Amino acid sequence: MSKSKRLAAAAILAGLALVTFVIESQIPPPLPLPGIRLGLANLYTLMAVSLLGRKEAGAVLLIRILLGSLFCGTLLSLLYSAAGGLLCYLVTALLYPALGDRLLWAVSVISALAHNLGQLLVAYFAVGHAVLAYAPVLAIAAVAAGTAVGLLASLLAPILKKRALRP
Amino acid sequence: MWKKQSTWILLVSAVLLVSLGALALLRLAGGGSVARITVDGKEIKRIDLSTVAEAYEFDVEGENGKNRVRVEPGRIGVISADCPDGVCVAHGMIEKSGDPVICLPHRLVIEIVGADGGPDAVIGEPHE
Repeated sequence: MSKSKRLAAAAILAGLALVTFVIESQIPPPLPLPGIRLGLANLYTLMAVSLLGRKEAGAVLLIRILLGSLFCGTLLSLLYSAAGGLLCYLVTALLYPALGDRLLWAVSVISALAHNLGQLLVAYFAVGHAVLAYAPVLAIAAVAAGTAVGLLASLLAPILKKRALRP
Repeated sequence: MWKKQSTWILLVSAVLLVSLGALALLRLAGGGSVARITVDGKEIKRIDLSTVAEAYEFDVEGENGKNRVRVEPGRIGVISADCPDGVCVAHGMIEKSGDPVICLPHRLVIEIVGADGGPDAVIGEPHE
């Protein structure tokens, strides 16, 4: 893939991720952790790491978090997004090269768990140990949403690789 | 081994089971009748809900905003707040431990603790 095509693909993914993020943030959160949601926007980070690479995936995620918080968040929600996003990205960048598209769903679940762990840690420092009562719920949410988003990504990645991004 | 689907299906199922178990334990272990209200990690009020005869309300004002707390016989909750998300109000009234009301923007926590004052069931934390 040419350099400009990669750039365009990364920009499209970042744009789609941002729109998804903004729409998702309009849905009231089920738990008092800013940023807990289905995590559909993570689909684009997974697409980026599969189609383009780790660097591009990081860029897509960074743009989504910064602009997403600018459009519909507060400084506080940026902090939660950033902590979750950083851990989520580290896990994705480490696991994807080892597991590949076939196990993209597993990358998605583990990165969703890491994302929620990051948010829980920020909440822990903000209000203390009472938030730990939410740990089980957060883990269950991460497994459910991570599997759904990951399976979608596992199906999409090979199709996009074959058709949309032919050189 | 790590390239196999079955490894990951087992691993994820294990995480799910452990979480469900922890959730069930938290709910089952729920007891106590003393509500503890903390703002910014500092305890500001302690109410024994078993001795409340008549419902009343009061405001908790912190640096970041205000929450109106309602106390009823045996239960407690936030009924209005000026935080942006309103999650604490949506949480409703609580009567058991393991189900704390949390307002993150105002750093307010209302939790039910045992009569001895320590947390009733906190996983991964030593008792105070």
